[in-house]
Amino acid sequence: MTHEGSRPLPPAAVPAVREAARTGVVDRIDRVLEGLWHLLSSMRVAIVLMLAIAALGVLGAVIIQAPSGVLNDPSAKADWLSQVRPKYGGWTSIMDFFQLFQIFNSVLFRVLVAGLTISLIACSIHRTPGIWQTITRPRLDVGPAFFEHAPQHEAVVVRHSPAETLGIVNGVLQGRHYRTLAHDDGVIHVYGDRFRWVQFSGVVAHLSLVVILAGAIIGAMFGYRDSGFTIAEGSTLPVAAEAGLSLQLIDFTDTYYTDSGMPQDYASQVVLYKDGQEVARHTIRVNDPLRYGDTTFYQAFFGSAAVMTVKDSTGKTLVSEGVPLAWTTTADNRPIGSFTIPGTNYVGWVVGTLGANDATIQPGQMQLELYTADSGREVAQQVLDQGTPATMEGLTVSFDRESQFTGLSVSRDPGVTLVWLGAFLLVAGFTLRFLLPHKRIWARISPRANGGAVLAVASLGSRDAALGTEFQGLVSDIRGALHTPARS
Amino acid sequence: MDKMAGYAFVAAMFSTGLAIFVYLLYAISGLRAARMQTAGAPGSTGAMGFVSGPRTASMGRYATILGWLAVVALLMSLVFRAIATGHGPFANMYEFSVAFAFGILAAYMWFERRYHQRILALVALPVALAMMLYAWTIQGPIEPLVPALQNNLLLTVHVAVAIVAYGSFSIAFAAAVLYLIQPEGGRWGLPKPQVLDEIGYRAVVVGFPFLSLTIILGAVWADVAWGSYWSWDPKETASLVTWLIYGAYLHARVMRGWRGNRAAWLLMLGFAATLFTYFFINLFAPGLHSYAGLS
Repeated sequence: MTHEGSRPLPPAAVPAVREAARTGVVDRIDRVLEGLWHLLSSMRVAIVLMLAIAALGVLGAVIIQAPSGVLNDPSAKADWLSQVRPKYGGWTSIMDFFQLFQIFNSVLFRVLVAGLTISLIACSIHRTPGIWQTITRPRLDVGPAFFEHAPQHEAVVVRHSPAETLGIVNGVLQGRHYRTLAHDDGVIHVYGDRFRWVQFSGVVAHLSLVVILAGAIIGAMFGYRDSGFTIAEGSTLPVAAEAGLSLQLIDFTDTYYTDSGMPQDYASQVVLYKDGQEVARHTIRVNDPLRYGDTTFYQAFFGSAAVMTVKDSTGKTLVSEGVPLAWTTTADNRPIGSFTIPGTNYVGWVVGTLGANDATIQPGQMQLELYTADSGREVAQQVLDQGTPATMEGLTVSFDRESQFTGLSVSRDPGVTLVWLGAFLLVAGFTLRFLLPHKRIWARISPRANGGAVLAVASLGSRDAALGTEFQGLVSDIRGALHTPARS
Repeated sequence: MDKMAGYAFVAAMFSTGLAIFVYLLYAISGLRAARMQTAGAPGSTGAMGFVSGPRTASMGRYATILGWLAVVALLMSLVFRAIATGHGPFANMYEFSVAFAFGILAAYMWFERRYHQRILALVALPVALAMMLYAWTIQGPIEPLVPALQNNLLLTVHVAVAIVAYGSFSIAFAAAVLYLIQPEGGRWGLPKPQVLDEIGYRAVVVGFPFLSLTIILGAVWADVAWGSYWSWDPKETASLVTWLIYGAYLHARVMRGWRGNRAAWLLMLGFAATLFTYFFINLFAPGLHSYAGLS
């Protein structure tokens, strides 16, 4: 990010004096843009934004968040709000108004994240030329005062000539894998550094966040997600994620530890078809999804299903399938599920029992309700005993047996590759940045009137205490090299 | 094996308690030496400012030995538990807490070796001991894994990486506490502010990449088990909050007007967020991470 607080280097070249003869308007626009750029690339702004997002995050972790999509649907929203109203009381509507139930979709959150993203892009742009310069054209002449005020400095009077001294200093630095540069203008200025390219790792780590965000946006825009794909045992259903794809559930099993009753395993044995051809066969478990192309099927939930048969007056079977009772009625929380009856204008709703104390629908019974598909009007309702056919609206209906359904989450996320790439760059960038700090050292070799030279060495020192010992090590190596007789 | 883990855990608790006591004696002895020195008696100033006499030094050595004993005992406890359960010992609140305490102790010993600031122990070790006492109160039989946790590799790596981050952040917290309680000018024989600032920074420099990795591994696991790498689950959100606070700290530390006290306060805030992520989310927030096993 910006150099606002970086360590004391001697003042750089004086900035070029502005042309005085600028016109007022241009000058003003210029100043506004400059101010804006300064604001965007300011680390202070970045810190404030990070802390503000963190504060919103705390709210988002503490306040119950609505499941995605719920708040966009007025009736689902009313239902959901009435669920949380006992907890939040009179605040519920106010909290809803301020989008506190959807913090991570809220306008404020988006603005802050966008602001932070712009800020970190601006900082990276702002910073890159400076890094590029320290890599390609580092400053060799830092002025004599630097060698007295730098956090770490050392001066030695040597009997060698300046040129010999330079050779020795270069030898020591290069022996420690430093790059050395020197410039002679009567006084020899020497610069050595190590890990100079690693400076870019900080920029990479920052920009990796933009990569992750891009992945998330691509996923949200072009991805597909159905977290409620329910399918009963024996049924085959088309998968909306990809044309021609359909999934068959052979069997679902849930097993429990006998001693604690805790769940042990949920397993959905499925077969995947593409245009009628079997393309995959897998047992989906919680940590073992089925992947086919870009589409992935995860184990999410399960429940009971009712196997229903519907025949028309001629005895032709219209329906024979398991109906997942994946929903609950709002009135009394009964399990409920629906199915269409092809060739008729009816939709069937199957309502399940609440248990042994249920007077209306007893265990071993299902209530079937028929609605018209176009107007949604209820036309018939009857409680069916298991295995006993009944007649409703001229159709022979029966509840054959109970079975199970599995709830899968189907998703296709084209942005996920970018997310993993960004994650890799993030960790690699930070690790390099912190593990291998850019090490710099300056030396100044001034000739003495009576022969020999004065060698001054200085380093900025770093936030890394380890660099302190590195500097001391370098100086003692140089001293040692100066004392060994020079080979002729 | 389960029993052995229990014994090793008790041994670790006793060593830590005893170590805290000896570290305290060490601090008092050092403080007295500092007084005597200001009164004109001979003494030597340690490399980083802490005054030490021969008695203080041997006290410090004993404290360090006890600290290492605690680390080894706790490590053994974790290893025995892992052998007993057949997976990384990170599957419920008891196991997390023992691992967290181990992270703090190990991070402290590492920083002591490197910076020789034993005073940090007076903050860091009580935090570790508190973790162990908490773990002691919630001990339970070994439970088999629920389906979501049945991923041995990710369970072990995801939590182990988190433990390194949390341990480091505890050291940063200890450094920040000592930084902030020092009165202006007077030092009570405490380490120099620059040294504490440095230790806090080094701790975050270790912890931050590890926290990033924890979050990323969590995302990888979420993608495998739940079908989405990010769901704004309370634990995910709280980790991100922690990450943002330490990110802010890393920037604040090189900024005029933010370095020093404000940066130290950010370390306190960061550790508060760490504990919030650890306790509040695991125990009170309903979410995908409710594995504490304390219901």
